[in-house]
Amino acid sequence: MNQKFIASLIVVLVTFSMLLAACQPAPAAAPEEPVQPAAEEITLRWRTRPDNQAEIDVYSSVSAELDGAMEGVTLVYEPGGSETSSYQDVLKTEIGAGTAPDVFWIPGTDIADFATRGLIMDLKSMADKTDGFKTTDFYSGPMYHMTFNPTTGKTGEALWGLPRDVSTFVLYLNLDLIAEAGADDPRELAKAGKWDWDAFLDVSKKVSELGSDVYGYGANAWWGPYGVWINSAGGGFFNADRTACALDTPEAIEGLTFERKLYVEEKVAVPYGEDSEPPFLAGKVGMFQNGRWATPGTRANANFTWDVVELPMGPEGMGNWLFWGAYVVNAKTQHPEEAWKLVQMLTTAETQGKISALGTNIPSRVSQAALDSFLTFTPPDNNQAFLNGIAEASNPTAEGPLWAGSWPNYDSIMGPMISKVLNGEMTIDEYKQSICVEANKAFTQ
Amino acid sequence: MHKDAESTNITRIETFINIVTGWHFFLSFAGLILLFFIIFKQLFSNLPSWLMFIGTISIIFLVGTSFFAGIQLRKRTRVGRTISLVINYLGFIFSFIALLQVLGVFLGVDALAKTFGSGIGWLAGVLAGYLIHAAGDQFHFRIQIEELFRKIGKYIALVFFTIFLFRVGLIKALIYLGKQIIIPTNLMIAFLVILFGIAIWLMWREETGIYLHRNNAQTEALEGYLFLSPNLLGFLIFFAFPLVFSFYISLTDWDAFGNSNFIGLANYLTIFRLNLKPLASATQNFIQVMDGSIYSELLRFNLFGKYFVLGAADARFWISLRNTLVFCIVTVPLSAIPALLLSNILNSKIPGMKIFRAIYFLPSIAAVVGISLIWQWLYNATIGYINYFITLGLQFINSIFATSYPIALIRWLSESRTALLAIIIVSAWQTMGFNTVLFMAGLQNIPKELYEAATVDGAGRWAKFWKITLPLLAPTTFFVITTTTIQALQVFEQVFIMTNPPGSPGTSTLTIVLYLYQNGFQRFQQGYGAAIAWVLFIVIFAVTLLQFRSQRRTGAYDV
Repeated sequence: MNQKFIASLIVVLVTFSMLLAACQPAPAAAPEEPVQPAAEEITLRWRTRPDNQAEIDVYSSVSAELDGAMEGVTLVYEPGGSETSSYQDVLKTEIGAGTAPDVFWIPGTDIADFATRGLIMDLKSMADKTDGFKTTDFYSGPMYHMTFNPTTGKTGEALWGLPRDVSTFVLYLNLDLIAEAGADDPRELAKAGKWDWDAFLDVSKKVSELGSDVYGYGANAWWGPYGVWINSAGGGFFNADRTACALDTPEAIEGLTFERKLYVEEKVAVPYGEDSEPPFLAGKVGMFQNGRWATPGTRANANFTWDVVELPMGPEGMGNWLFWGAYVVNAKTQHPEEAWKLVQMLTTAETQGKISALGTNIPSRVSQAALDSFLTFTPPDNNQAFLNGIAEASNPTAEGPLWAGSWPNYDSIMGPMISKVLNGEMTIDEYKQSICVEANKAFTQ
Repeated sequence: MHKDAESTNITRIETFINIVTGWHFFLSFAGLILLFFIIFKQLFSNLPSWLMFIGTISIIFLVGTSFFAGIQLRKRTRVGRTISLVINYLGFIFSFIALLQVLGVFLGVDALAKTFGSGIGWLAGVLAGYLIHAAGDQFHFRIQIEELFRKIGKYIALVFFTIFLFRVGLIKALIYLGKQIIIPTNLMIAFLVILFGIAIWLMWREETGIYLHRNNAQTEALEGYLFLSPNLLGFLIFFAFPLVFSFYISLTDWDAFGNSNFIGLANYLTIFRLNLKPLASATQNFIQVMDGSIYSELLRFNLFGKYFVLGAADARFWISLRNTLVFCIVTVPLSAIPALLLSNILNSKIPGMKIFRAIYFLPSIAAVVGISLIWQWLYNATIGYINYFITLGLQFINSIFATSYPIALIRWLSESRTALLAIIIVSAWQTMGFNTVLFMAGLQNIPKELYEAATVDGAGRWAKFWKITLPLLAPTTFFVITTTTIQALQVFEQVFIMTNPPGSPGTSTLTIVLYLYQNGFQRFQQGYGAAIAWVLFIVIFAVTLLQFRSQRRTGAYDV
């Protein structure tokens, strides 16, 4: 009886104490030794999408440093989930519930949806009053969209945030496999100006001949990889003012036809829809198309000699993407001035340099010093290939939102149909007949 | 003397009832003033319209019932007591939840999850104290030692528990609570909680009940509903309300961020907007016969030598519905029939059978995400184990039998023909274990005498299975089929994790729940997503109804 009483008492005490302990405010960055902000201090929460724990650690240390530099502000860094953990879906739900952070990162394609629905703040008025701030410090492609005013349809009339970083596609090379196949080294071909679609196909074919489970080329199934073939043929997803589908133009069709050849006719590519990264890391793929974000994984897991090379030249050039995402300010933040200051501090050359050192990102500031510094973050030895991809001369197409329609809807129409083409389930003619009829619906929604 | 005491008691009860009566009139009056301010948009004007609507209805209800309770209490009826108890109980619960919210307890629970880890080690000390205390029982024969153990154990537990509380932030919590509670609004809510509490106490008292002629039926009903109330309130708030609310959402173009217009049945019309047109030839482009800016081609078919094309305003909805139905039709038998056979095997009394039961049950308790990720790797066409073993097997057969079967890698998840099948295999495999346990439970209920009698009659194993096991398992089979069907119609996680992008290749694995998720959470179309959810609800309801009707016809539950 006595024991039962004591056990019950402990249970009651524990429950009550838990409830009481639960009354304490949410802890700041370091839970073990929470820093109690002074009474006049404000707390700013910010979030970005990290790719791995190393990035979380760097962002945490960046947050701690900026916290010290921002007087009267306590920063709380919240690492968001990865892309596969539905970072955007969670964020949108939090915005709907009114619990989203003050500053957060979103991909470039989401800017329009967030801006037109009033979810993020137009920072232009504050930026105009900020000494030394120039939008020209950042790459022009992303800034076109970041300063786009959907009401007037003109760029330069708003500021939705600042780009965190940029990236571009390269081909990750398994040099051992390429040498074994007796194919030319793509890096040498690129240096000699002979790295074009034909040379690419030749290397792919030779590597594929090494075995039934070996492939010359691999890429993952999303809009980025197939977009470059369309771009490099002179085509694009949209017309010039991004108000209609352009996936059925002769140039776009030429690019897609070449890519289909890799998958369906020549069968030199990892089947479309299969994740190409595992077979590449397992040494079964000669050339793996991906962005800078694949570098840390390759550094850690590749047990072969590897490097990178820029994408091959198509009829109209390299046709690369300029990928980017941006820090934006929650429209419902209670501290817009401080949030704007944080956005600026997160995009200084110094902060970007620290994050670039991990190998995942390229700084979004147009700064020779930042680029020179980026070149030192090896392997891969040929970091220049990334910079060649984003150079103005390569005329990269900036990833961007769809101000005149819904990008998620457009993507959900385009993706499955192109997947059918690259899987050999739909002919190019069938695709040509229906793609824009369907995709244009995304502009009327 | 006795009469005096009784008179004093009655006066006290009267006073209590009068206080509660006044409280109810006050509540009605306060509610009316609140309504006035809401109607003239002086208060809560920034709230969404649906919340304003619900709030207004609730306040009208409160004003009406509270006034009625006041009138009835003035008449000294037991109905007044019942209504008063219900109103005050609900008021107490909701104001208490509001108090917890404004004090930050719910956010604090999140915080506790983070700080709990730093103190959890000290709980081991509490456990040690308890064990020492309990160890005293071993010394019944020496009472002093027993007492000593108990004392030491008690103090150790107390010391460690105090340290634990410090570590998880009890002191900080107390300080924070103190600061929060003195904020005027919070103080007012706390006061309201106390007032509701007092009103409940005044009405619940035995003497008040007797004075107001309570009877046993009323007392039992009140006590019954009191015990039922946590579940009932939970059901109403977290199930019934969202259900009704989602229907309202389906009549709007809400994007989840406050932008909403009432559009009536427009979402449902878009879903069901179909167009059937004849074609001049089998290959004629569908946009030549219908407006391509509205419709997408869904299906073309030949009927009596004539070609037709069926267009849909939302073809992806119909594709997802078809995929879901195919998934359901194949998955249910695949997870039920093997489970039935397996349960018969596992029901035998062979040594080590319990281990096998556990093994088969494991997939059903494992996390779907983890399982899906593992299967995704197994299915990888180039480096996955499934294709690896298929290749090894074919190579072995070719070498032994001098055959030349082609070694082609199956693209499990990247080809339209196989992707849905791959998902079906995983789902059936995962559900099978749970169904097996259900069948085994059903088998335990079959009387052994029936089998003995059948054996005496010369029935073989097969005959016993068909004539005894299967018919007597009918109730379990019905339950298994119904629950597995409902589960299959709601398939989401496996597709979401295993296919990239979800629903690919093409739209071959796009299921209806995935499609509603994409609309609601990725395309900012919560209203449309809610409409799809309601259509799915009707489909599930119809299928379940059919199953119940078929069960009634066969009399499965009458066994």
